[in-house]
Formats: sequence, structure tokens, C-alpha cells
Amino acid sequence: MDKRLAISTASIAVFIAAWEVAPRLGLVDPFFTSRPTQVIVAAADVVRSGTLLRDAAVSLSEFAIGFALAVAIGVPLGLLLGTFETLRLLLDPPIMAVYATPQLALLPIFVLWLGIGMSSKIAVVFLGASIPIIVNCMAGVRHVDRPLVVAARSFCATRLDVFARVILPASLPGVMIGIRLGLSRAVLGVVVAEMYVSQDGVGNQIMRLGSAFHVDRLLVYVLLVSTFGLAATSAVRRIEERIAR
Amino acid sequence: MRSARPLALGALSFAAILFAWEAGVRLGWLNPFFTSQPTAIARALLGGMQSGELGRAVRVSVEEFTAGFGAAIAVGLALGIAAGWFRPVEYALDPFIWFVYSAPLIAFYPLFVLWLGLGAHTVMAISFLLSVTPITVNTIAGMRSLDPLLLLAARSFGARAHDRLWKVALPASVPMIAAGLRLGVGRALTGVVIAELFVPSGGLGSSIAYNAGLLRTTDMLASLAVIVVIGVICTQALSALEAQFSSWRTGPGL
Repeated sequence: MDKRLAISTASIAVFIAAWEVAPRLGLVDPFFTSRPTQVIVAAADVVRSGTLLRDAAVSLSEFAIGFALAVAIGVPLGLLLGTFETLRLLLDPPIMAVYATPQLALLPIFVLWLGIGMSSKIAVVFLGASIPIIVNCMAGVRHVDRPLVVAARSFCATRLDVFARVILPASLPGVMIGIRLGLSRAVLGVVVAEMYVSQDGVGNQIMRLGSAFHVDRLLVYVLLVSTFGLAATSAVRRIEERIAR
Repeated sequence: MRSARPLALGALSFAAILFAWEAGVRLGWLNPFFTSQPTAIARALLGGMQSGELGRAVRVSVEEFTAGFGAAIAVGLALGIAAGWFRPVEYALDPFIWFVYSAPLIAFYPLFVLWLGLGAHTVMAISFLLSVTPITVNTIAGMRSLDPLLLLAARSFGARAHDRLWKVALPASVPMIAAGLRLGVGRALTGVVIAELFVPSGGLGSSIAYNAGLLRTTDMLASLAVIVVIGVICTQALSALEAQFSSWRTGPGL
């Protein structure tokens, strides 16, 4: 484990050193790549400017509302579809069609329906996150060990008992995978939706900085988003591991 | 008869959705300005096919997808094999893989436009970057999950490192690699569509963005319908490929 940490750290250090030195030697144009020291200065600027908090608050609330709706609707719907076969056969094809399509393609239509404010972003986040949640909850229920269900039934458990005490706990790993996959789609969804059209938010800032080629500050925002995504995903992964144990 | 039931129910639900949509518009419950209607979309698709406009957009998008995903397969497999076989390579690559995986890469599109021009090359680059990570990660995972006994057995029968890699480790990781390709296909397609929303390349995503600007809901939904069809075809093809390769799996797990 120590060796792993050492090599990973060394590799990041080499990358950062090369990134700092190459523009100074004139090997690459710092206009495109910026430099680590510039990014650090820009990070201080961004934190001091105060717009970061406002933008982050907008993006985070879009993310939180859309994602919470996706969990609140996606998990029960997925569990229902996994349990009732006819319902699943009926709804599976449309869900699969949406699953196979990049849901962000619907962005312009959501903007037309809901306007350029927060609701179109919430809709994109909701759709992007709920599809993997539904699909994995469904798969989770279907992978429940059948003999367990049969055993519970033969010990006179009611259908509700079977669902609450056998199917639900056994499909939890699938539910968590769905939540983790949905999470990363939700993060991407917020940023892309705000970049497409918005008045504020992190994605709006990214769009402005990118179009103006402020690469240093752009990188600060991109690093913030990916750190958030990575932290949220690994938090869910940790819960998954605890459940698996 | 049992195998016909899913098909029948699936067709029924699509028919019901289309019927409700069309009826809703005709009865005045839905405003066609916002929702359009299936018959109008079908007419737009036919018109697009006849004028060749649709075919051109499909060709552009498919080319971008093929180039981006193809490059992702080549690079992802090469990186994955290197990192899967040599642990230090994996440790060195790991932080970068996770950054590329979790970063909203579309944020860099203005830079790509400067480097690669306002068009298909930028879209290809974004599609490549989005799809290369799942392929790399799954190739590494496939080679890591290899049963060490297999390698030991190969070694004790005198297989050289070269043979152990190409004849034992790689074939054994094919199911995981196939799963990575299936994940990658979705992300490659997402990359093409997102990039096209921002970068006018003449593809289907650009057509959606263009028609959205003109508030032409019908044309927008017609392009979207084509994207849905392409997405379903790609996903089905890769699932079939994956099923083919996982049928070799012997024993539980992996």
C-alpha cells in the first residue's frame, strides 16, 4: 500500500513539475496550458472574489433537488418493476430506450419546456440520475436468490413480509450501485446543463471562463467539480462496502 | 409463446405512448408547439431522408463516434494491459484515470476548438476522452481478477512472460473488457452528443441545438429520435458481444 501511495504521489509530482517547467522553457504555450503556480494564484482569486459561493450554492441546490427526486422516485419504481413482471415487461422497453440514449440530448427540449432557470437543470439531473437508479434497482431485485423467497413463503411470510424482509435487504447492493452511477451522471448533468444555457452556477462560470480563455481559473472550477464528484462517489462506495460486509 | 410476451408487451407500451401523445395533441390537451406530435415527427424524418439532410447528419455523427470510440478502444486497451501487467504503471496512472473519469471534460471544449477547430475533430476528442476511462479501468480490473493459479500453472509448464500475458492473462480478462466496452459505448455516444450541442459539426446533436434555437420542436425531436435509435443499436450490439464472451466464463465470480 505504501508503495502504491509513493508511486502515485511521485507520478503526480512529475506531472506537475513538467506542467510548470514546460511552459517556462517555451515547449508549450502557457496560454493553452496555464501553469500550476498560476492555477494556485487563480484559486486564491476565485475564493476571494465571493462569486464562488454563490455559484456553488446554485449548482449544489440544482444537484441536490434533482438527485433527491431521482432517488425518491427511482428507487421505489425500480423495486416495483423488479417485483412485478408484467409491469416490468411493459415499462422496460421505454426505459431501456432512454437508458441507451445520452439523456443530455434532451437538454434543449427541457430548456424549451422549463426555461433557462433552475428547473431545466433539475429536470436534466433528475432524468440522468433516475435512469441508472431504476435499472440497477430492477436488476438488484431480480438477482435476489429465489430459494430465499421460496423459503420465506413456505414459513408463511406474507407478500409484504417477503418484500420488506427478504427482497429489500437482498437488493440493497444493486440499489447502491444505481445511486453511485446516478451520482456521477447528476454531477455531469448540472455542469453541462449550466454550460448550455443559464444565468449563474458553476457551469455558467466555466462557460464564461472557457470562452474568454482564462485557463487558470477554468481549471480551478473544473478541479472543484471533479473533487466534488470523486468525494461523493467514494462516499457512496464506502457505504456500499459497509453493506456488503 | 413465452418469448413472444416481452416483445408484445414492449410493442404495446411504445404504441400506447405514441397514441396518447398524438391523441393528446389532437384533443388539444398538449400544445404541439412544445411537444410536437408523432405524425409530424415521422413526416419530418421522411422529409429529412428524402432531402439527404438526415443522412448527412447521421454520417457526421457516426464518423465522430467511430473515430472517438475506436481511438478509445486502442488507447484504453494499451493503457489497461500495461497497467494490468505492471503494477507500478497502474499506480502511476491511477490518479490521472480518476481525474479524467470524474472531471466534466466538456469544460475544456473552447480549448479543443482552438487546437482542433470548430467541428468534427473537437467532437471526436471529447468522445474519446469520455470513453477511454471505462475501457482502461475495466481492462485493469479484468487482468487483476485473473486467477493467480492459472498464471502459476502456465509458468510451471514453462510459459514465458510474453506467453503468459497474451495466452493466459488477456483471454481471461475478455469478459471484463467486453463490459468496459459496453460502458464506453454509452459514454462515447454521450460525448458526441454533448460536444455537438456546443460545437456545430453538422451532426445530430448540432441539429438539435440548431433547431432548438429556431424553436422547431418537430425537427428537434426528429433528430432526437434518430439518436435514440443509434443508442439502442449500439447498446444492444455491445450487450450481445458481452453475452457472447461471458459464455466462456467457467466457475462462479469474476
